[in-house]
Amino acid sequence: MDPFKNRRWVIILIITCVGIIFSLRLFYIQVINHDWSERAAEISLTTENLQPPRGFIYDRNNNLLVGSATLYDLFILPIAVKEKDTVIICDVFNFSRSDFREILNQASSGYNVPYKPSVFIKSMSQLEHAKISPFIGQIPAIHAESKLDRGYPFPIASHLLGYIRRIDENQFQKTRKEDDLFYTKNDFIGITGLENQYEKLLRGERGNINYLKDYAGNKMETVDKTPPKAGKSLLITLDAKLQKLGEDLMKNKIGSIVALEPSTGEVLAMISAPSYNPSLLTGRNFANEFKNLKQNDSLKPLINRPVYNDKYRPGSIFKLVQALIALDEGVITKETGFVCNKNTIGCHNHEKPNSLLKAIKHSCNPYFFHVYKRLIMKNSNGNIFETSRLGLGIWEEKVKSFGFGSPLGIDLPDEKSGFIPNVEFYDRWYGKKRWAFSTIYSNSIGEGEIGVSPIQMANLAAIIANKGFYYTPHVVKKIEDEELSNKYKIKHFTDVEENHFEIITKAMNEVVNNGTGRNARIDSIEVCGKTGTVENKNFNDHSVFISFAPMSKPKIAIAVYVEYGTWGSKWAAPIASLMMEKYINGKLSEKSYQKMLEIQQSVILNKNTKF
Amino acid sequence: MKHRNLSVWRNIDKPLVLFYIILSIIGYLIMFSSSFKGSEFQDFVWNSNYGKQLIWLFLTSFLGIVILLIDGNLIKNSSYLIYGVIIFLLFIVLLMPPLKGARSWFYFSGFSFQPSELIKLALSLALAKLLSDVGSKFQDFKTKLKAFLLIIIPSILIALQPDPGTMLVFTCFVFVLYREGLSGNFLLVGLFTVLIAIVGIFLKASNSVFYIGETMVSGIVFFGFFLIIGFIFSFLIIRYFVLPRYRKQKIRSLILIGILGLSISGGINVVYDSVFKDRHRTRFQIMFGIKEDRQGAGYNIYQALSAVGSGEGFGKGFLKGTLSNDKYKHVPEQNTDFIFCVLAEELGFMGSLIFIILYLSMLVRIIAVAERQRSKFTRIYGYCVSGILFFHFMINIAMVIGLAPVIGIPLPFFSKGGSAILSFGLMIFIMLRLDAERKVVLR
Repeated sequence: MDPFKNRRWVIILIITCVGIIFSLRLFYIQVINHDWSERAAEISLTTENLQPPRGFIYDRNNNLLVGSATLYDLFILPIAVKEKDTVIICDVFNFSRSDFREILNQASSGYNVPYKPSVFIKSMSQLEHAKISPFIGQIPAIHAESKLDRGYPFPIASHLLGYIRRIDENQFQKTRKEDDLFYTKNDFIGITGLENQYEKLLRGERGNINYLKDYAGNKMETVDKTPPKAGKSLLITLDAKLQKLGEDLMKNKIGSIVALEPSTGEVLAMISAPSYNPSLLTGRNFANEFKNLKQNDSLKPLINRPVYNDKYRPGSIFKLVQALIALDEGVITKETGFVCNKNTIGCHNHEKPNSLLKAIKHSCNPYFFHVYKRLIMKNSNGNIFETSRLGLGIWEEKVKSFGFGSPLGIDLPDEKSGFIPNVEFYDRWYGKKRWAFSTIYSNSIGEGEIGVSPIQMANLAAIIANKGFYYTPHVVKKIEDEELSNKYKIKHFTDVEENHFEIITKAMNEVVNNGTGRNARIDSIEVCGKTGTVENKNFNDHSVFISFAPMSKPKIAIAVYVEYGTWGSKWAAPIASLMMEKYINGKLSEKSYQKMLEIQQSVILNKNTKF
Repeated sequence: MKHRNLSVWRNIDKPLVLFYIILSIIGYLIMFSSSFKGSEFQDFVWNSNYGKQLIWLFLTSFLGIVILLIDGNLIKNSSYLIYGVIIFLLFIVLLMPPLKGARSWFYFSGFSFQPSELIKLALSLALAKLLSDVGSKFQDFKTKLKAFLLIIIPSILIALQPDPGTMLVFTCFVFVLYREGLSGNFLLVGLFTVLIAIVGIFLKASNSVFYIGETMVSGIVFFGFFLIIGFIFSFLIIRYFVLPRYRKQKIRSLILIGILGLSISGGINVVYDSVFKDRHRTRFQIMFGIKEDRQGAGYNIYQALSAVGSGEGFGKGFLKGTLSNDKYKHVPEQNTDFIFCVLAEELGFMGSLIFIILYLSMLVRIIAVAERQRSKFTRIYGYCVSGILFFHFMINIAMVIGLAPVIGIPLPFFSKGGSAILSFGLMIFIMLRLDAERKVVLR
């Protein structure tokens, strides 16, 4: 009837074939091959980093020293800039047309691409941002992102706290090399002080947030979010009030103060003069201020002298170390006396040094010349060169047990070692068998080649206060809920027997009560101290004082170094006494207050200041 | 009247009704999802894509019920009239202002209308009428010519809009004519043409070169040599292995095929270089995977394939797509030509498979229904409907899943667009009406 009736099967076959081909193709792109699915995620998802707030820093009495301040970075999206926006932008930001063209050019070249926003104004303060924010709303091409910078309620201890700065290219590459993926190119990183030392704790952990975006890149919906973990806060050992007093006292002077708690090794105050206000190195003016501090100031206010400057000769305070080693080696007793013979080494007029106590009390130079001679030449075998080498070796080892000649291990960056001269040094300097005691005797009174940092000087005071041991000085007391590292709980004993410290302590008390350090007396407190006057050939000498108090149960050990401050009792001793009084009594007496004002107003920046 | 009503209901093809209703509902929901902006659960806005679509669906249903109630003969007898009216509209629409570079739409306050959608229906009716008329035999050259004219007139008018997608759909009438007695060689020749074209365009698009000895020739020229050598071999085979009485006939068809093959590959060589614009060339290159222009010409297909792929086995869930709806808009034209992305993304491979099975089952059902007719008109009409739906399906899905270059063509029952919804809906309703009368009419 219908010859073509079977042709329907051909048509149905074709339809079925197409269905099978499509099904297989769909099975391939949807189920077997995951490339397209991954591409879809790439198209529709966008991940954004969340910056954690940086940890705060509190002093030992829970005063906030370093908090936060909000900054704003302005971003521009070059492809979205319209002709009419140009007029508004130039108007709001005070740009000329060519300035603006330059900005657009920068935002479109190099690492930047025109279809991604890039920063064009960094670190705008909250106030500046408030002024322009109404205009920003009108210009779709510009948006602001807030950022947390540092804020300083008490502008003190800048050296110890350190500063943060936007990461530079070198540092960025370095962190990437170390597999540290924390930073983006717009992040802050700690450069000096605690900010640098505890960077990894303070910075916290980044979070991220995944958005679904639409075709134009607008964020539409949050898929998931890992909130950032705030940086850990540090409780530090510093006493803000003591630090402030110290900074006031050191105004217009060059030098350091380091105050330690002998029973723990905690740093109570650490002053480096000249100082700077830490708020200067924040916000938009960072670059200018940094340049001023770094390049335009010959006094180098950015250096943290207490740990960094290890070229200081200690002067007469080193006599205490000589006395202790000599007692321990048995080359003298406390009754040993020497003649104050000014032919060998200079001295001032004072009563006869017929005991160790009197020698320390008056800081007799010839006495310690002889003490050092006995130490170095102890094992005399007839050859002065050999004997000196042997003696110096023993001496060096014992001196080093006081923490000299190597970094103490304080939790601050860039701590220097200081220098204790040894056999190899002199061999190199003079040649083998070309030196003997007569060549190196200036070490006896803390001159010569010895180099000590102020933190090591303060540590010496703490050792004597503790009668023979010290804890590694440290700045951080507590990291939120974490306990302090065991490193700071270990007693480091010197090589000198404990019983020898008694006479030294007594002598140091005499120094303050009746000797060279009378300027350090505090009426209500028994103070022990030792002056030092570090000789400079053509300029004023440096004024040095180390001290601890109260004598019976020491709460504070301190070292003060005033460069070009002439003799030790002139500036260093009264500064130390004021610091100790303030710390122990919590306030200054009327008399001391007057003294404080007087010191505060004195200017000792010139190497030849007349007093 | 009451009696007739009942008789329509009793004789209507229920599986086909079911297929139509299910596909319309799924289609509408997918269309709703494609227009979903994430906040429209509370407010149903009538003046939105999905609101208008629903109005069109209601209108289609209403007109469909009217069609079910009128006499099939009325439809049959007004075939040419309908065809004439739509052809007239196709003339008028060319005078309208162009939208997206094509003069395809009429506008009335907020609604737009595309006569080229209705011509598919009208042409089906007219073709059925022509071939089923008493006295017309398909074997007659005159009938063939008339059929050819019926198809070619709207093709030219649509080419002038231009709307290449709809033009391509008209190819489906080859199947109808094949069923009615057109030589099977046409299908084979068609297949042969498509194969030669695919190979030829691939060779052109990939800029391949071959060496014959020391001479470098472009791929298409090499392909030409290859064809010639193939024919010489075939000729020799026929010459020595085929019985002499069949030889003459075989050689004649061999020569015809040879000329066809060479002229197609030659034609492609010319057309590809001088008629095609760069964007066409890029489309082919992207389709063959020679070029991946993600931000430019390849953008649509890249985004579409990503959306389809991201559906994976079981999809992201209804309204939960993240690429192909109006909220995210990563896939352009997501509620018209690329609407299959929404289905594939939200319902996954399982959903896509069920959709393909449902859709093709409906086509087979229409063929089955057509085959049981005693009326030649209804049978031809049924094949037309099936063919049109099949071609839309085939071209649209092939484009979305990267098997064909991007050609704008709607997916019936799914894509946004009132004219298409109405046109495809009426096609089905007329089919149902005519089928319901299968026991009444003899011819």
